[in-house]
Amino acid sequence: MSAFVDARTLAAGTVLKPDIAIVGGGPAGISLALALAATKLDILLLESGSMNLDPAVQDMYAGSQSGDDYASLDAGRLRTLGGGTNHWGGWCRPLDASDFEKRDWVPHSGWPFPRTALDPYYPRAQALVEAGPWIYDQGDRLASAKAPMLPLGHGGLYTSWFQFSKMRGDVLPTRFGVRYEADIKAAATIKPLLNANVTAIRLTPDARRVDRLDVATLTGLRFTVKPRHVVLAAGGMENARLLLASNDVMKAGVGNQNDMVGRFFGDNPIPRDVATLVVFSGKRGPYYGNNLNMGNGAIMRAVFAPTAAFARSRHIMGSLTTMEHPVELDETGKAAVITAAIALGVDASNARAFSVGCGMELMPDPDRRLTLTGEKDALGLPRLKLHMRVTDDDFARYRLTLAELGRQLLASGAGLLRLNCSHREEWLKNMDWGHHHLGTVRMHSNPKQGVVDGDGKVHGLANLHVAGSAVFPTYGASNPTLNLLALTLRLADHLKRIAA
Amino acid sequence: MNRRALLAGLAAAGGALAAGLYRFTDLFVKHYPPTAHDDLLEELGDRDQAARLGAAVDNAPDAKALAARLRTSLQGDLATAVQADIAAGRLTEVKGWLLPQTVVLLSALAAKS
Ligand SMILES: Cc1cc2nc3c(=O)[nH]c(=O)nc-3n(C[C@H](O)[C@H](O)[C@H](O)COP(=O)(O)OP(=O)(O)OC[C@H]3O[C@@H](n4cnc5c(N)ncnc54)[C@H](O)[C@@H]3O)c2cc1C
Repeated sequence: MSAFVDARTLAAGTVLKPDIAIVGGGPAGISLALALAATKLDILLLESGSMNLDPAVQDMYAGSQSGDDYASLDAGRLRTLGGGTNHWGGWCRPLDASDFEKRDWVPHSGWPFPRTALDPYYPRAQALVEAGPWIYDQGDRLASAKAPMLPLGHGGLYTSWFQFSKMRGDVLPTRFGVRYEADIKAAATIKPLLNANVTAIRLTPDARRVDRLDVATLTGLRFTVKPRHVVLAAGGMENARLLLASNDVMKAGVGNQNDMVGRFFGDNPIPRDVATLVVFSGKRGPYYGNNLNMGNGAIMRAVFAPTAAFARSRHIMGSLTTMEHPVELDETGKAAVITAAIALGVDASNARAFSVGCGMELMPDPDRRLTLTGEKDALGLPRLKLHMRVTDDDFARYRLTLAELGRQLLASGAGLLRLNCSHREEWLKNMDWGHHHLGTVRMHSNPKQGVVDGDGKVHGLANLHVAGSAVFPTYGASNPTLNLLALTLRLADHLKRIAA
Repeated sequence: MNRRALLAGLAAAGGALAAGLYRFTDLFVKHYPPTAHDDLLEELGDRDQAARLGAAVDNAPDAKALAARLRTSLQGDLATAVQADIAAGRLTEVKGWLLPQTVVLLSALAAKS
């Protein structure tokens, strides 16, 4: 049983020597620590924040931006135990097999392994996020028993399903810090250290291993951790920042010998009201517009996803299209509905229209990137700058997907679609972001194309691994947390093998 | 009332009744002034709505050209042509609405007739 230790109470100059130091107590760091708890390995969990958000700690996340509008760097992250899960939406969906494949129309695509490598880990990841039984593929059957599904004609999109995290005894999704506090404390081999900010990764002079970590508190205390293995789990932006800022031995930053760290930043844009979907019958199952409890512990929501074959034939990227709130039609819209319905021979006298939203995947872009600035945070770490870029091509590809959805609605005689966005300003007008920070420490078996290998180990360094969505080389449109947890559990098995 | 006045009165009443009946059936089947393209336009169930939609079609050719094109493409009935459009992905956007091409051409013709 290890109580949380406040790093501010340590003696200055303390040197801690765990088997494995995990940097960051978000869902990745917590899940990794718990997965290793049953081994004999000493685990040190270094968390910058504490149980409650401290504005001074949070300020270390602030940074600057250029390029297209994006959430400010300290808005989409929380520097406290549990990390982003303290404000996440709980949307869960496994990545598709095609998200792992090399897509010849997507430069830099392809994971070092197929989805089957993660399959054994998904059930435990699902349990960690408390999203109920694994029934992503049974949504159609469960939903149709409640209300008829919207039929889609044969084509490139199909109805797919999200499941939702819900913390036991709460209405909110699982907040990992709160939910797993007792489990962390109960694990004899995990030492959780709060208010402990890792400020540098120090390498051996030959740049082959991590020698130690510099750690500091905001009260001015500094101490050292000399672990056998280090896992960075500080989030999709901060992992890159720590690597770039640790540049005393490797001048471009740790793992950055090929100028890859910080590049390929990704997120799932969530443009709103991208289309208007008319259902001729006016009847819509409740699981299209809301998260619906399916009665077996699973909360589900229907979305429209492209098939791998359609993606390949039209060279589109991943997307998940949602139906949202009802909307009114203008005179042209009413005329379109009446005229189309008559031509199709269907009754549209009760037709209803709904706004359509989506989550998109962006084309990998090395220039959408994080770099360090001259400005420093309270502990002297250079702040991040994000150069954001969403191209017209990203929107154009998703528009093809929407058009296919419209065609399939006509084919089934179920409805009609209006494409609401043609120009860049229209897409950007109602733009939200998933706050899914991806790709900045990308995984590739070739060190020239990636920072970590297929095991999450930083190329060229024997004892440094990275956990979290920063390593995703491509990412589809599924929200990342369930997937990064499956990957983290796989990393735990790898660490058990190499560190035992 | 002499006989001529009676006949004139009956004729007027008959005319009014016929006109009334015509208007009355308008409730069920709308009547439109005849055009040169009625063989095509009669495929549309609601020509007013189609014309409203058709007025929003960008860069539509004139009625004659539209009719010529439709006479070639619309060989069978409208339902068959529409299903063929959908299957082949021949959809046209009208103010963003994705519609089978034949429906759009007919609507544009309705607007111009
Ligand atoms: C508003 C919002 C909604 C979201 N909704 C969803 C959703 O519905 N579904 C989904 O899948 N994902 C969602 N996400 C994303 C989700 O929160 C992240 O995928 C997830 O939190 C990433 O986990 P992580 O452990 O890798 O990083 P984080 O959660 O970012 O955790 C990193 C941890 O490291 C600590 N840390 C940082 N720097 C240091 C340092 N130098 N030293 C020590 N510790 C450090 C931080 O304090 C933090 O606790 C959402 C995010 C936001 C912001």
